[in-house]
Amino acid sequence: MASSDILSIGQSALSAAQAGISTTGHNIANASTAGYSRQIVVQTSAGGINYGYGFVGQGTQVASVQRVYNNLLATQVNAAQSSSSQINSYSALMTQIDNMIGTSSSGVSTSLQSFFTSIQGLTTNPNNAATRQAMLSSAQSLANSFQNTSSTLSGLNNSVNSQISSTVTEINSYASQIAKLNQAITVAQSASGQPANDLLDQRDQLVATLSKDVQVSVVSQDGSYNVTIGNGQALVVGNTSYNLSAVNSASNPTQLDIAIQTGGSTTNTLNSQTLTGGTLGGLLQFRNQSLGPTQNTFGQMALVVAQAFNNQQAQGLDLNGNQGTALFSVPTPTVFANTDNTGTQGIAATVSNADAVTTSDYTLKYDGTNYTLTRQSDGTTSTYSSLPQTVDGLSISLSGSGTMMAGDSFLIQPTVNAAAGLSVALTDINKIAAGGSVVTSTAASSNTGTATSSTPTVSSTYSSNPLTTATAFTLTYNQASNQLSGFPSGGPQTYVSGSTITVGNVSFTLSGTPANGDQFTIAQNTSNATGSNTNALALAALQTSKLVSGTTTLSDTYAQLVSTVGNQMNQLNITGAAETATLTQLTNTQQSNSGVNMDEEAANLIRYQQAYQAAGRVMQVATQLFTTLLGISG
Amino acid sequence: MRISTNMVYQSGINQINDLTSEQNKLQLQIGSMKKILTPSDDPVAAASAVQVEQAQSLNTQYTSNRSTVNSQLTNVSSTLSSVSNLIVSIQSTIVTAGNGSYSNSDRATLATTINNQLAQMLGYANTADASGNYIFAGNQNTTAPYQQTSTGATYSGDSGQNTVQVATQRYMQVNYTGSQVFSANGNDVFTTLTNLAKLLNTPVTDQASQTALTNGIAAANASMSSALNNVSSIQASVGANLNEIATLNTNGTSTSTQNAATLSGLQDLDYAQAVSDLSKNTTILNAAMKSYTTVTSLSLFDILKG
Repeated sequence: MASSDILSIGQSALSAAQAGISTTGHNIANASTAGYSRQIVVQTSAGGINYGYGFVGQGTQVASVQRVYNNLLATQVNAAQSSSSQINSYSALMTQIDNMIGTSSSGVSTSLQSFFTSIQGLTTNPNNAATRQAMLSSAQSLANSFQNTSSTLSGLNNSVNSQISSTVTEINSYASQIAKLNQAITVAQSASGQPANDLLDQRDQLVATLSKDVQVSVVSQDGSYNVTIGNGQALVVGNTSYNLSAVNSASNPTQLDIAIQTGGSTTNTLNSQTLTGGTLGGLLQFRNQSLGPTQNTFGQMALVVAQAFNNQQAQGLDLNGNQGTALFSVPTPTVFANTDNTGTQGIAATVSNADAVTTSDYTLKYDGTNYTLTRQSDGTTSTYSSLPQTVDGLSISLSGSGTMMAGDSFLIQPTVNAAAGLSVALTDINKIAAGGSVVTSTAASSNTGTATSSTPTVSSTYSSNPLTTATAFTLTYNQASNQLSGFPSGGPQTYVSGSTITVGNVSFTLSGTPANGDQFTIAQNTSNATGSNTNALALAALQTSKLVSGTTTLSDTYAQLVSTVGNQMNQLNITGAAETATLTQLTNTQQSNSGVNMDEEAANLIRYQQAYQAAGRVMQVATQLFTTLLGISG
Repeated sequence: MRISTNMVYQSGINQINDLTSEQNKLQLQIGSMKKILTPSDDPVAAASAVQVEQAQSLNTQYTSNRSTVNSQLTNVSSTLSSVSNLIVSIQSTIVTAGNGSYSNSDRATLATTINNQLAQMLGYANTADASGNYIFAGNQNTTAPYQQTSTGATYSGDSGQNTVQVATQRYMQVNYTGSQVFSANGNDVFTTLTNLAKLLNTPVTDQASQTALTNGIAAANASMSSALNNVSSIQASVGANLNEIATLNTNGTSTSTQNAATLSGLQDLDYAQAVSDLSKNTTILNAAMKSYTTVTSLSLFDILKG
C-alpha cells in the first residue's frame, strides 16, 4: 500500500464532496424553478483491496446524480390539474352569464315588467297618444334587451372560439417541445447511461402545463413519452408530434371543432364529447351545457313574446278601426346544411306555433329514403318519408330545388338566434290594437233564453278573408231539434253548450240554455270605438298567462333560468373549491417529495464543505507521509 | 413531513389570496347591501326573488291603475251629483209650473228656465275629462255624444263600457254610457225637458189645453223623479266602487309591504353579521400576513452567516 493510494482516496473524497457541493448549489439555484425536482448525489464506496490482512478501502465514487421524482404522484397531480383547469375555464365564462342575469336592475326581466306596466297604462287610457307611445317605446326596449342579451351570449360564443384557437396553438407548441425533448433525452441518456435529470424535469413540466390545457395520458416507452388525448388520439409519439387545429364545425359553422393531424396533411375531427379536462374541456363543456341552453331559453322567450302579442293584436281593432297587425316580427329558426353534404337540397324551418317550440336543437338526416329528425336535448327521433312536417311547433320543409343525397344532414336551431331576431314591427302608435274584438257575436234583443256567446276569436288567416256585410251570418236556435241553423255553408248543427263553434276563420262558444228562436249574429266589428280597451286588457293579461309550452308564464321561465344558471355556477364554485383543494394537497405531496428545502440544502452545504475539508486533510496527510518516506531514503 | 421552501411560500400566498377574495366579496355585499350578488350565491332565493319582483310590479301596476280609475270615477261621481242637483231644481221648476195662479206669460218665463236647464243638462251629458275624452260617450269618446234637436237630443255614443284591472281578480267598470245615465228604461230626460218647454210655451186657452198642461206637468214630474232615481242608483254604485278602491288601496299597501319584506328576506344583507364577518376576516388576514412574514424569514442560512 502506497501513500499515493491514500492520496487517491483523499482525492476521490474531494471529488465526491465537490459533486455534492455542486449539486447542492444547483438545488439552491433552482429552488424556485417550475417543475424542478431536487437532485441528490448517489455515492458508493470504491471497494477495497485485499492485502492479506484484510480489505483496505479505496475511497469513494459518485455512482450517479439522481432527481427525486415520483411518477405516480406526477400523474395524479396532472389529472387534478386537468380537472381544476376545466372548472376554472368553465366558471370564468359562466360567471359572465351569472353576472348578466344577476343584475336585476337591467335586462330582459325588468324590460318585460316595464312593457306590461305600459300596457296596463294603455288599458286605463286607450286612446291617449302618450300611453300608446309609452307602450310602443317599451316594446322597443324589450326587443333591445333581448338583442343585447343575445349579443352578450354570442360574444361568449366568440370568446369560446378564440380561446379554443389559442389553446390549440399552445397545445401544439407543448407537443412539439415534448417531441424534441424525447429526442434530446434519448440521445443524452444513451450516451452517458445516466438520467438526464434537468431534461426530464423540463419534459415533465411540459406535460404538467399541457394538462392545464387538456387532459392527456402519458405512456413511457424506451425513455420517450407517448402522449395521447381524447379517445387515445396520438399527440406525441417519440420524436414526432401531431398538430391539432381549430376548424369550423361541419354541422354548425358558428362553432369551432378540434381536428387532429393523422399523418401528412390528413386531419380527423375529434368528437368534442371525448375531449375532457383542461381549459379546452371547460370551454367545450361550457358551450354545450350552459351557453347553448341559455341562448335557447332566451330565444324561446323571444319567440313566445312575439307570437303571443301578434296573435292578440290580431284579435283587436286599432285606433283606425282596422284589425291589428303584428307588433313584433317573429324571428326565424336557423338552419345549417352540413358542409359535408353531397346533395344540393336546402331545408327551411319556420315557427308555426311558438307555444310548442322547445329549447332544443334538432338534427335532420336523410338516409336515401327517409328523413330522421333527432331532438338533441333528449335524443328522441322521428322518421318521415317526406317533407314538409310539423314537429314541436316547427314546420320543416324543403327549400328551393336541389337533390338530397343519402347521408346529408342539417342542423335546425329554432331558438338560438331568436332573441337577436326579435324586433318591433309597428311604428305607428295608432296601430296598437287596444280596441274591441275584430268580430262580434251579438245576441238578438228578442232572445228569451239564457245562452250567451263568447267574444269570437279570429285565426291568423282571417285578414286575407274577413267577414263582410254580405258574409255576416245569424244563427237561430231550434228547440225541437236542439240545433242551430243559419251557417254560411252546410246544414244545421246540434247545439252543445260550451263547445267551440268554428266557421271559416272565426271561432266562438255559445253556452247556457237558449230558448226556441233565439238568435246570435256574427259580424265584423265596424264600430270605430277609439275609447275601447277590451283588447288592451287581453294584452295585459298575457303577463300572467302560461305562454311558454302552455305550462309557465314568461316570468316563471325567467325565474327557472335564474335558478338553472345559479345552480350551475354554484355547483362549479363548490366543485372548483374541492378540485383546488385536491390539487393543492397533491401538489404539496409532490413538493414534499421533490421540492427543494433551503434549510436542508444549507445543512448539506455544510456537510459537503466539511467533507471537502476533511478530504483535503487526508491528502495533506498523504503528502506528509510521502515526504517522510523521502526523508528516510535521502 | 418534509416541507419544500416553495410550499412554504405558496401555501402562505394561497391562504392570503383566499382571505382577500372573501374580503372582496364581503365588501361588495356591504356596498350593495345585498347578500345575493349573482344567482349562484343562492339560486333558490334568486329565482324566488324574480317571482316576488313580478308580484310586486303587478301590485304597483294595480295601484297606479286604481289611482287612474279613482280619478275617472270621481269625475263621473261629481258630474252625476251635478246632474242630480239639476234634476232636483228642474223638479222644483215643474212644481212651480203647476201653480194654478200662473198666467201664460209666467209659464213662458218658466219655459225659458226649463230650456236653460236643458242646455245645462246637455252640458253635463257632454262632459269631457282632462284628456278631452267625453265621459258619457261609451267608447266613441272623442266625439260629443249629445246633439240637441227639435225633439230632444240624439246620442252618437255607443254602449261600450271599459273595465280596468284594479286587483289580481278584479276588473272595475270605469265609464257609464249616456244611455245608461240620461235615457234609462226609455225615459229620456232631453225629450222630457224639450216637451215640457214646448208645453209651457203653449198658452192655455180652453179646458183641453188646461188638461194637456196638467197631464204634461204630471208626466214630466214622473219622468224627472224616475231619472233622479236612476242617477242616484248609478251614483251609489260609483260610490261603492270608490269605496272598494279605498279598501283595495289598503290591501295593496299591505301586499306591497309584505312583498318588500319577502324580497328583503331573500336578498338583503344581515348588515351586523356582514360587518362582523368582515372584521373577523380582517383579523385572520392580518394574522396570515404576519405568520407569512415570520415563517418566510426563517432560514438556516441567516444563522450560518458570518
